[in-house]
Amino acid sequence: MTNVFFRWIKHFFRPPEASKIGVTRRGVIIGGMAGIGSALLIRSSALGENRTFSPELVRPPCSVAEEEFLSKCIRCGECMKVCPTNALQPAFTEGGLGGLWTPILNMKLGYCEYECNLCSQVCPTQAIKRMALDQKKQVKIGMAFFDKNRCLPYASARTCIVCEEHCPTPKKAIWFQEVQVMTPEGSLTTVKQPHVNPTLCTGCGICENKCPISDRRGVYVTSVGETRNPKNQVLLDSYADGGGYGN
Amino acid sequence: MARSRTIWPVWLRRLSQTVFVLLFLYLFLQTVYHPVNQAGRGVDLFFQFDPLVLLSSWLASHQIAAGLLFSLITVAVTLLAGRWFCGWICPFGALHNLFSCWRSRRAKDRIASSAYSPWQKSKYYILFGLLLACALGLNLTGWFDPFSFLFRGTALVAYPMFDDATKSAFGWIYQADPAIGRFHVTSATEPVYEVLRRHVLATAQPHFAGTVLIALLFFGMLFLNLHRTRFWCHFVCPLGALLGVVGKNPLVQIQRNEAACNNCGACVADCQGGASPETAGGFKPSECFYCFNCESACPHKAIKINVLVAGGKQ
Repeated sequence: MTNVFFRWIKHFFRPPEASKIGVTRRGVIIGGMAGIGSALLIRSSALGENRTFSPELVRPPCSVAEEEFLSKCIRCGECMKVCPTNALQPAFTEGGLGGLWTPILNMKLGYCEYECNLCSQVCPTQAIKRMALDQKKQVKIGMAFFDKNRCLPYASARTCIVCEEHCPTPKKAIWFQEVQVMTPEGSLTTVKQPHVNPTLCTGCGICENKCPISDRRGVYVTSVGETRNPKNQVLLDSYADGGGYGN
Repeated sequence: MARSRTIWPVWLRRLSQTVFVLLFLYLFLQTVYHPVNQAGRGVDLFFQFDPLVLLSSWLASHQIAAGLLFSLITVAVTLLAGRWFCGWICPFGALHNLFSCWRSRRAKDRIASSAYSPWQKSKYYILFGLLLACALGLNLTGWFDPFSFLFRGTALVAYPMFDDATKSAFGWIYQADPAIGRFHVTSATEPVYEVLRRHVLATAQPHFAGTVLIALLFFGMLFLNLHRTRFWCHFVCPLGALLGVVGKNPLVQIQRNEAACNNCGACVADCQGGASPETAGGFKPSECFYCFNCESACPHKAIKINVLVAGGKQ
């Protein structure tokens, strides 16, 4: 037994000719240049590391900052498989070439379930950080905005409170202003016009998902206000405490 | 080429591959809201034993998710014994193994599609490029990592297609309600459907955006096996390349008895890794999966896989 071991040690350091992989200098240079080149090209492109603040680049909750995210995500699709609402989708161009097949939320296909942190449970590389459900509920993944040209109480003088009813935060992030508006028949009527409270909104997107204006929604979520990026903020107070997670 | 009887290590390997494919599928199906905000345990198990994920995320982010340290076991085993991981454990490898069975059966073609090709070095260049990109902070490993490739293809393409097909098929049977005499086919199919719905199918049909590219690559890689045995494992897989580098001087070796060998080529025709078990200088350990096909195929018992150091000057 020891004999075999010593022979292996000897063999290990002085292997036979056939053990050689035989990589060629040309191949190593081409492979290396392709690796370095694509890294530099992708990093230096406008979309690299989300320098353009792509509004569609809404990452799963508990995701780490974009640069770190791209260094960890292996695009395995575990999060997309586990997402109970089918909201998590493989990105195509939303995050630039370097973000191909990384997870983003599509609020028309699904939404981020408030009582769920499954994506953070299954991510093998912690690109989506493991976080307790209570903590996850504090994380903002973006923010909702109303499109007043399409939202019914604004655009058509009709009552609609679907978004507010679905809003999952303990204190609703959507609030109403009662306004007298004119109907197409010329009479006055009172409607409740919804607004987003930016300090409460987590960007979960259930409002966008449930909005009855099916094709282009009257309310939609973009990535601004996301906890993981201190630069992508709307509110001055989020700058004041530094944004990001561990402040 | 005379055929000899399949030896027991081959059956053991097939059993091992089957078990790990089933484990993959089981963990895949556990990757759900199950039962309440709790995914099945250890659903990322295969990634945790994948040293490529460990190395790339460490190079790119200088951090390590603790679970990935399990992959050091894979490294240790490979260092000692060679690329058993590819031949006995990897479920993606097993899938390629299966598809390779459908390549041309003509002896000449089988030898040509399984013999060592210098192009097999391409996976090492892919690995090298990916690791350099990682060192510059861009982790593109997931495009090529076998488990990412397999899970992505399964989750985003194969599973939604399977889900749709199954639900449609059982739906048609239910609607048509065919009957043989007084026996309704649905009384046999509906219980099966119930089991599938409960344990296999998705609660709601999954839909994913832009899956055409993923599907082309996934199915394309499977069909390339008809041209070349385990095409992915020979030419593309960067994890295979990493394990090849680690396990290039293993303790377990293929020994070829030159006196008994008549160069019939039976061992080459069945070789999974393109490891050229037939050459006089010795096999290529960096390519060998220890599938035992060469030993099993040899009609003259001239090849043995042994815990010994053979070949070269000693």
